[in-house]
Amino acid sequence: MTKPKVASDWLAGCAGCHMSFLDMDERIIELTKLVDLRATPITDLKEPDEEGVDVGILEGGISNTYNEEVAIKMRERCKILVALGDCAVFGGVPAMRNFPGADAALKRAYIETESTDESGVIPNDPELSTPVHVRPVSDIVKVDVFLPGCAPSADSIFYVLSELAQGRMPKVDGEFNKWH
Amino acid sequence: MIQLTVNGQAVEVEAGSTILDAVRKAGFNVPTLCYHPKLVSYGSCRLCLVEVEGARTLQPSCVVPAANGMIVHTDTDKTKSARKFILSMIFSERNHFCMYCQDTDGDCDLQQAAYDEGMTHWPITPAYKPFMVDASHPDIFLDNNRCILCRRCVRACTELVGNATLGFEERGSGSILIADNNVPLGESTCISCGNCVQFCPTGALIDRRSAYQGRETDLTHTNSVCLDCSLGCERVVKTRDNRIVRIDGNMETGFNDSLLCHDGRYKPFTEEHKRITTPMVRRNGQLLPISWDEALAAISAQFKAHDSSEISAHISPRQPIEALDAFHEFFADHFKAGQVALVGHDQTAAASVKLAGEIGAFESDISVLKDCDAAIILGTDLVKDHQVAGFFLKRQAMQNLSMFVAHSAPTGIADWSANKLEYVGSDYPAVVDVLRGFVKGDPDLSAKLQKLGFESEHANKVLGQLKASEKPVFVVGNEFTKPENFAAFRDLVLLAREIGAKVVALKGKANNFAGALLGFEMDTQPKAAPVFYLALGDGHACDHTREALAGSEFKIIQASYDSDFTEIADLVLPCTIWAEQAGHYLSTDGKLGLNQQAIQAADCQRSVLDVLKVLASKSGITLAEAWREAVEDKVATIVLS
Repeated sequence: MTKPKVASDWLAGCAGCHMSFLDMDERIIELTKLVDLRATPITDLKEPDEEGVDVGILEGGISNTYNEEVAIKMRERCKILVALGDCAVFGGVPAMRNFPGADAALKRAYIETESTDESGVIPNDPELSTPVHVRPVSDIVKVDVFLPGCAPSADSIFYVLSELAQGRMPKVDGEFNKWH
Repeated sequence: MIQLTVNGQAVEVEAGSTILDAVRKAGFNVPTLCYHPKLVSYGSCRLCLVEVEGARTLQPSCVVPAANGMIVHTDTDKTKSARKFILSMIFSERNHFCMYCQDTDGDCDLQQAAYDEGMTHWPITPAYKPFMVDASHPDIFLDNNRCILCRRCVRACTELVGNATLGFEERGSGSILIADNNVPLGESTCISCGNCVQFCPTGALIDRRSAYQGRETDLTHTNSVCLDCSLGCERVVKTRDNRIVRIDGNMETGFNDSLLCHDGRYKPFTEEHKRITTPMVRRNGQLLPISWDEALAAISAQFKAHDSSEISAHISPRQPIEALDAFHEFFADHFKAGQVALVGHDQTAAASVKLAGEIGAFESDISVLKDCDAAIILGTDLVKDHQVAGFFLKRQAMQNLSMFVAHSAPTGIADWSANKLEYVGSDYPAVVDVLRGFVKGDPDLSAKLQKLGFESEHANKVLGQLKASEKPVFVVGNEFTKPENFAAFRDLVLLAREIGAKVVALKGKANNFAGALLGFEMDTQPKAAPVFYLALGDGHACDHTREALAGSEFKIIQASYDSDFTEIADLVLPCTIWAEQAGHYLSTDGKLGLNQQAIQAADCQRSVLDVLKVLASKSGITLAEAWREAVEDKVATIVLS
């Protein structure tokens, strides 16, 4: 039997969920016996295989047009999509920006910061993606498994991945379902 | 009794019960948010919807009365999907992101409800509409963005505290929680009791000091009684890493219905003192650190060097009964010290003991204030002191409470009643004479009323209502119970007996009542002496005590904090504070409460009781420590059971 392929990526998040993934310590060895870890932000391969993976994992919410592209690509190339952590599930901390709006947030960050002199300017380049209203991943693509948490515990990530690796849909409940 | 079926199980509940009562009695549960057992049900959140066979729609179980033959289902596909939909709608309305909220993991009823329904995400994207945040209050932080419009705070503020500061403005999803007519909470009529915070199911009202300092589950809970005034409100001291994080009212037990006043909830956090951390002795005019052994030896030497009558011993009523009893036994029974007195000048306890000795038990449990229709309040300001007793009267006043208040200064409590008569002055015998005269008939009544400054027609109307009341209560306090008014006190209590009124006597601070029962001098001025022993602990004392201390030759103080008392002492012993020691407190109506130790003192600080035990053993005295029976027996001769 071939091992199921797993790819992950991060969007508007803090990388904390991936750190929590690493926090499962020696169980990673156990996990790699069950799955074929492909593209992740912490491995050399950066894009999910064109021929597709079995499980795609996204950390972080959708805060700009680039996040949208990555999320859509991941959705297209995976069979089961996992939204990992509060930002991917709810929008999370980046979604605080929605209350004042992206323009006000950029102004505060690039112009009004105490350490910024009068030359402050909001970055504006065709190469850069455009900020959008911050949304959970499920607002733009279908999500199959929601694993909330800030960050989700290593135990819950291990549980979800080991269930998926063995062909079962995980039930995120009890100790595994934490919204903070 | 009403018989119905819940999830196939027959259950019987009393008439007037709701479906929710029946569901819970049958051993099932439906989640609730706006419902609270201590508040009048409001039925706004709809989370408690159940299916009732034959009913057109799902029914809110917290407000629909249980009826005979009802067949109720709590966990059907219909109720489950309704609950999920309701929660989805609530989460979509405002900022309910858990990851940056103070109330999570056991602190938030909303989050718990979502967990219970197995929700892992929000099906509806939030609206991201900002709402008003009010950070103007020193104790309470109000964030409308986290409000679910359940109005538990409003009901607690009105129904329980009787203050009616909180209310709502606007309608529907735009409703916002406001103080008074939308003024900042810190500038409103809020009395800072903090009960709204305790009743808030989410993070909309949070305690500023304890915010983000640990979830409920991280804190150690220690049951305790408040020892500020003498009501003995039950509270829970919440600690973490040997530090008090927050104090809450006890939701489970206690006459106080979980209520605390500002002093009971926040005073330990608002007072700033310097702790004393070593025994000190005065040498060449300066207080210098010494060891405990040296300090205790110095005290023993003073006791030996003086005749026992040359010792004046004073203790704070904030000390537990155990310490008061040991203190009295040591200084009065064994030493026969010249003066063994309780610090403070509230003489209600002493007056009550004396009066009960003459006429028998006459006092009632404080709970009678929760169910009275007339209150005659003499010599106490229930807005400032014994505030929780004031809450009871204020909320009664919202129903229909006639009030007669006499106090040397306007008290504010009278303003809560529509039928009130307020006398501002100190001629209490004349006040009692008028009350007696009205009940018994007095030809000179009009003249006497006029003399007290009352307009005759209005006074007669209010007095008439008081006389016609079915559950009148007389509340007396320190101004009225002074020795010079003793005859008036007796007359008032006898009048109460005649007309079937209850009497509540409010007895100053913490253990004043226990002090009076243990035989402490309470109606004398503190006297200077060759040796003055003051067990102040974490309490305060009045200027008279300081004068007597200053006039004494050798001044010994057991104190927790640096003060103008320790400044002039010759020997200072560092003392534990209330939270660092366990002990009993006798409430103003004779209920024994236990203040449990919540945190550890430093090694250098010792309790009054521990020091007394060492001093007693140095003097070859064994303390009996047998106060309980004596105190309980004496209470029974004063407070009606």
